Amino acid sequence: MSARLELENVCHRYGGDEPALENLSLAVEPGELVALLGPSGCGKTTALKVVAGLLRPTAGDVRVGGLSVVGTPPERREAAMVFQKPLLFPHMSVAQNVGFGLRMRGTRKEEAGRRAEEALRRVQMDGFAGRSPEELSGGQQQRVALARALVTEPRLLLLDEPFSALDANLREEMRELVLRLQREGGHTTVFVTHDQEEAVILAGRIALIFDGRLQMYDRPEAFYDRPATREVARFFGATNFIEGLAKNGSAHTPLGDLKLGRPAPPGALTLTIRPEAVRLEGGENSFRARVISASYLGTQVHYELQTAGTALRAALPPHVRLAVGDEVTARLPAESLWVLK
Amino acid sequence: MGGRLKIALLLTPALVVIGVLFAGGLVVAFVQSLGYVPAIGMTDLTLNAYREILSDEDFFDSLVLTLYVSGVSTGVATVLAVVAALALRRSSGRVSAVVFQLPITIPHLVAAVGIALIVGQTGLGARLAALLGLVGEPGDFPALLYDEYSVGIILTYVWKEVPFIALVVLASLRGVASELEDVARTLGAGAWQRFWYVVFPVISPSVVAASLLVFAFTFGAFEVPYLLGKSYPTILPVMAYNEYRDIDLSARPTAMAINVLIALITGAVAALYLRLARNLGRRG
Repeated sequence: MSARLELENVCHRYGGDEPALENLSLAVEPGELVALLGPSGCGKTTALKVVAGLLRPTAGDVRVGGLSVVGTPPERREAAMVFQKPLLFPHMSVAQNVGFGLRMRGTRKEEAGRRAEEALRRVQMDGFAGRSPEELSGGQQQRVALARALVTEPRLLLLDEPFSALDANLREEMRELVLRLQREGGHTTVFVTHDQEEAVILAGRIALIFDGRLQMYDRPEAFYDRPATREVARFFGATNFIEGLAKNGSAHTPLGDLKLGRPAPPGALTLTIRPEAVRLEGGENSFRARVISASYLGTQVHYELQTAGTALRAALPPHVRLAVGDEVTARLPAESLWVLK
Repeated sequence: MGGRLKIALLLTPALVVIGVLFAGGLVVAFVQSLGYVPAIGMTDLTLNAYREILSDEDFFDSLVLTLYVSGVSTGVATVLAVVAALALRRSSGRVSAVVFQLPITIPHLVAAVGIALIVGQTGLGARLAALLGLVGEPGDFPALLYDEYSVGIILTYVWKEVPFIALVVLASLRGVASELEDVARTLGAGAWQRFWYVVFPVISPSVVAASLLVFAFTFGAFEVPYLLGKSYPTILPVMAYNEYRDIDLSARPTAMAINVLIALITGAVAALYLRLARNLGRRG
């Protein structure tokens, strides 16, 4: 059955090739899908391997269902892992691959075969049971790998960039499959990815990791609306950063005094706003700006606006047609301005 | 097409050497085995040499001895090599390099002499055993050279071939086998289950391929049994050599017929190896 997963101050150091982890703490609720997101080499795969038991943390605790598993070898953790490569056993048929975990637990051959067929149906690979892995395409192999992990009904399902080797269409299809399987099976799932879009689509919560340190752990929309730091905001595509000085619920900035949605402690601050939130209208927090570039993206047009002392990016619907050199009035709604730490 | 021509041209020097020395030698041997030795006036083609050999008990004694020595050497070397490779696979490259690559660089001839100096009845081992009181005097040490069981020959082969097999196995252990083992672990397989159901089947093609090469080599090799073997029966290549050196030149077809039979047997083993290697390549 799926279980709650807790990492408490997990460290991993002196690990040869493995990137380090520094005091990683997070909890995954039973049945939740959490993405470990970050650039390559940030330690997200190290964290997953620590959870699987393939790496031993140098400090800290890993608990599954409330009990520490640090001393438990991977084969007794019931944490099935799917890797970047399908890694099917080349000397076994597809059905034998899927039934492997059951057979290792002593399930009888007929029973294992029956449940393997069932698992193959769930990943839409029925009819392939008798094939050899080398006869399958990369995407099919990864489906079989997924079935092989799911058939054991693991307490934790660990996915290490399982689709990064597939092409874009297939990747989308696989994401939908994972979402469906996860909803149906209710597995506690940890999904490692470097792809911010993938994390947003799949995950209930995202743990963003830079340099082995957890930067932010929250629901996907929070990374757009309420990023913790400038680095987090930038990783999620934010480009508008405004330096200023806070006083009495507003900020003194090169754009003038901007009213804030929430009070900020007095002193220096950095504001950010999503390009989609910039309005072309007068009123509170408005200012004059000049269009210095425009790029048409089909559903949106991205403009760069030059104002007194700073440049801002605005994403506007395509029916608003501005030309480079136009003078406009732009407004930054107070409720969309977010104060970075 | 140009690329193919280039490859052919680049291969030519090597192919000429192999063609003249190896294929040429084989053809000459085959022709002589049919009784064609014009230098002494023998020009009729017959199968007499083969008939003679195949009705000769000495030949079968030699064949059995040769199969025994090659088989035991290969078997023991394979088991030890797999165990060694499993033990060393988590160690750094440098340790295995020293342990394994050193014996590979030492010629068989030198290895045979070294083994003789250690296990002979006047050798280091016998004297050490006498010193420790394990045997009364060095001469009581069991005969391991020129002996009935060819222990000296087998020891030399095992010492020389274990590193070769182990290096081949180590390469496949450190490759995909260790990743597959991680998968098996997270699926609940214990140490023995992982070895038996995953690691062993995955490395076995390379184990078999490497040991077939060792078998083919030891089957046709001459120097070690010549130095360390008893005088009767001898190993097949030594028997061929003795016939070849016979002052009676009419024994030449017999020598060559033995060589051709050795070549046929090792050729069959090589064909088996190529098939396995192809399967291995397809899997990778």
